[in-house]
Amino acid sequence: MPKNTENLRRGHAPAIEARGLTKSYGSKTVVDGLDFQVHAGRVTGFLGPNGAGKSTTMRLLLGLERPDSGQALIEGRPYAELTAPLSHVGALLEAKAFHKGRSARNHLLALAQSQALPERRVDEVLDLVGLHDVAGKRAGGYSLGMAQRLGIAAALLGDPRIVLLDEPVNGLDPEGVFWIRNLMKRLAAEGRAVLVSSHLMNEMAVTADHLMVIGRGRLLADCGTAEFIERHTDPAVYAATPDVARPALLEEAFMRLTASAVEYSAR
Amino acid sequence: MTTATLTRAGDAVRPTHRPGMTDLMRSEWTKLRSLRSTWWSLAAMIAVSVGFTVAACAVYTHDFTHLDAATQTEFRQDTIGLILQPGVQFASLAVSVLGAMLITSEYSTGMIRATMLAEPRRTRALLAKAATFALFVYVFSELIAIPSFFIGSAITSAHASVSISDPTNIRAILSFGLFMTAMGLIALSIGAIVRHTAAAVSLVLALHFVLPGVLSLIPGTVGKHLSAAMPQGTSVVVSSGHNAGNLYTPAQAGLILAAWVVVLGGAALVSVKRRDV
Repeated sequence: MPKNTENLRRGHAPAIEARGLTKSYGSKTVVDGLDFQVHAGRVTGFLGPNGAGKSTTMRLLLGLERPDSGQALIEGRPYAELTAPLSHVGALLEAKAFHKGRSARNHLLALAQSQALPERRVDEVLDLVGLHDVAGKRAGGYSLGMAQRLGIAAALLGDPRIVLLDEPVNGLDPEGVFWIRNLMKRLAAEGRAVLVSSHLMNEMAVTADHLMVIGRGRLLADCGTAEFIERHTDPAVYAATPDVARPALLEEAFMRLTASAVEYSAR
Repeated sequence: MTTATLTRAGDAVRPTHRPGMTDLMRSEWTKLRSLRSTWWSLAAMIAVSVGFTVAACAVYTHDFTHLDAATQTEFRQDTIGLILQPGVQFASLAVSVLGAMLITSEYSTGMIRATMLAEPRRTRALLAKAATFALFVYVFSELIAIPSFFIGSAITSAHASVSISDPTNIRAILSFGLFMTAMGLIALSIGAIVRHTAAAVSLVLALHFVLPGVLSLIPGTVGKHLSAAMPQGTSVVVSSGHNAGNLYTPAQAGLILAAWVVVLGGAALVSVKRRDV
């Protein structure tokens, strides 16, 4: 019976949902009444200028910060109510969110133990991200790319249905960028919900199926990537651009949309 | 049916059971044992504690006949204190640094977010960390106290007899571990509240080694009582309690120490629960 209720809830509730989500620091409202849903089976790009509130929103979704008002829900429940949360949501928030003196294997082992996950899963994710050969070394000596891979390994440890990645390609070499891009696409193809923040437009243009754009803490757009480009590009430019080249217009579309919402700009 | 995907070799990966406190403690144990600094500080703690015990016992025993009558009496009445006390200050220093860094290093590296994502009920996360550390420190401290007792009692046997069958001695030996555990938990609590290694270690050192001296300057008996009620002052639990200068009995000191742990630990739990990470 509880299992049925669980399935029912999972069936109806979106993977991620924000309802009137609001967060201020002092007098500055960083996230301002956000309403959105993130659905399974696609990569949702989360875009916005620096300081738009992307990272804060992600931290609110994960229960690391408490909203002043509104709700952040994972499959219909607040993050804090999840049992073995890493099996529901995997998150990469910052590169190097691990103790520098600890090896990758021990870092992942400690996380696995906290979730009652089998130990063999640690080796599985180490293989998956290609860190197997250096798993016993102190993680403090890892390059940024290796650190990102360790972060991805931690995110995928619980085989989660929802994956949140905050700027995952920052500092990666082209091969790493390519790897993450394909990883995100395949995670979505497997039916998982993937929410990825970035300020690299060209990267999002080729990765995201769906876009959410925020500026100054407010939702400016929430639609398919192609639709977003069509709607926010100069019509003349759009018409003159061949189909295959249209993803390259994302940057221009984004700039036009967020022009009034940039926090810091050169004049 | 086996359904391999990109991210797994076989069927969906599931927790083997609903994770509970023991799983969190197993996780914290992995974190604790996998840092070299843990073992370095404990090795230093053993070496210095046992070394000070041997040195103090040897000096007092060797010079016994030259000591004045009062010191001789004290030697005989609190031999267990002479054996276990010399290393207390240094050992509590080592445990304090370890305890503070256990949590401040998570804040400084960002590991704290991984910890809180794994267990979003933050007070449970902190309790698991504290319980694991407490058990570890207790066992380790007793591994220092017990050999120290036998080494010390052998050295001092010419002028005093301390027996393991004396309940007072057993209480002192078991209290050594409790005292060290309390030191560790106090430091862990302060670390959880201030979140910075340098700040936490400075505060702990001030609490243990500066404040008692400052308080004792207050004229009258008030200052002396306050000073003795500071955490380091309660190390009288690691003695026979028969010294003339003691303001509190070992039992009273034990209660005062427990109060320190409860108050600071409670403050740490509230702080961790309420503040964003």
